[in-house]
Amino acid sequence: MIEVRQIKKAFNDEEVLRDVSFKLRENETLSVLGASGSGKSTLLKIIAGLLDGYSGTILVNGKAIDDVKPKNRGTVYIYQQPLLFPHLNVEQNIAFGLTIRDRENSFIQEETGRMIAELQLQGQEHKYPHQLSGGQQQRVSFGRAFIIRPEMLLLDEPFASLDPSTRRDMQILFKEIAQKEGITSLFVTHDLKEALITGDRFGMMSAGKLRVFDDKESFIKDSESGVQEEIQFWKEIQNH
Amino acid sequence: MTRKISITFLLLIFLQPLLVLLYLSFSTQWHYPSLFAHPFTTQHWQTLLSESSALIKSIGISIMISTLVSFVATGMGFFISRGIAYYTKSRWWLTSAYFPYVIAPVVLAVMLNFYFLKMGLTGTFAGILLAQLLITIPYSVIFFHSFWSSTILEREYLVATLGGNFMTSLRHAILPSAKGLLVVCYFQCYLISWFEYGLTQYIGVGKVETLTILVYRYISEANPYLAALAGLLLLIPPLVLLFVNRSFFIQNVWKS
Repeated sequence: MIEVRQIKKAFNDEEVLRDVSFKLRENETLSVLGASGSGKSTLLKIIAGLLDGYSGTILVNGKAIDDVKPKNRGTVYIYQQPLLFPHLNVEQNIAFGLTIRDRENSFIQEETGRMIAELQLQGQEHKYPHQLSGGQQQRVSFGRAFIIRPEMLLLDEPFASLDPSTRRDMQILFKEIAQKEGITSLFVTHDLKEALITGDRFGMMSAGKLRVFDDKESFIKDSESGVQEEIQFWKEIQNH
Repeated sequence: MTRKISITFLLLIFLQPLLVLLYLSFSTQWHYPSLFAHPFTTQHWQTLLSESSALIKSIGISIMISTLVSFVATGMGFFISRGIAYYTKSRWWLTSAYFPYVIAPVVLAVMLNFYFLKMGLTGTFAGILLAQLLITIPYSVIFFHSFWSSTILEREYLVATLGGNFMTSLRHAILPSAKGLLVVCYFQCYLISWFEYGLTQYIGVGKVETLTILVYRYISEANPYLAALAGLLLLIPPLVLLFVNRSFFIQNVWKS
């Protein structure tokens, strides 16, 4: 269980996060929707331990992790860009987290092979990042994060730079693997459809405030979520 | 065909001064209106190869100074620029790196001479090293400042969340991207140090004779033949360095 309590953060005099609180159960994905500049990325960075100078607290299984260094927090941050290591091939990129933990070679090979199969990257093992498509690169980036079984995955608009078709495939693949691997994640996006596909629960971030909906139903019905507007739009298109 | 002729023409233009230097280094007299120098001799080259040759010593000193200066300046500039890019908000830090170049290195030497004298560094090898670092480190800082982009920072953050420490980050997130630039910066600092005259002369007070100092001394002594030989020698290490790292200059750097 991950709990974020009353996080406040300001840059100079500008308040970016205002009393942000939420709970995230194990194996659950909270999709947070919000416009650019609403404070989504700041929230992720604070949870990952990459930003300090905030008030409030973050608890993992009841234990505060505010003073824990990023490398020991058990959270992995996934960016919009895959940020693969250019000097490592697919296999080595995926195995990265296990390699730096000095795990046994046989274990690394077994886990990497399993992850490559799950991500449908067979045959690409020895290719370098520049030889892969955007979608394949993002899959490798996911594999690199999944393989260390983080307490929490923090996803910062990870599919924003992909084409619509690859994006959809990746959303479905993410959902499948997250469920299979039992990954807890906070998925930040500004795409309504993406939030609905990937999330188990939903949040709306606006001007530094987070509103969390407990189920899909209440999120869809809420006038501020934008779902009703979207439905109306497609209805009008259909009627004309 | 036209391209070949143009390249040959350009090569000749670039090589012509070097050929003149080479020719002069085999001469002891060349008086107008003779077309060729007379006598043609290997005397200067033989002197160079003798154990007590001042040229050989100055080559050794120059190589040591330039290697140390470029190594330290590249390393320090790399990490100082990281600190400036990530941890400072004021532009003053970067602007101050331009200071030695705005006022000219030799003026900087005049300004710092008092402190060098007080510390007993004037006329010493260590003094020259420190003086040259005062101009090459700022150069290196300016050179690397734009390298520290948000992508590099994000990659460092990523390594941290994946469980890596700073050394892991350096090895996997920073150095693979910085490799080409590090080589270029090392090369540039080497050149700055190798050809540095004013600052070296002022702080070294003629006691530390680098090859560049020696070339100027021969010129001022109106010895064009030895100056030609020393001038040729002056060009060898940078050319060797350029040749060794040609793949970085021709492929990696231009491609990126």
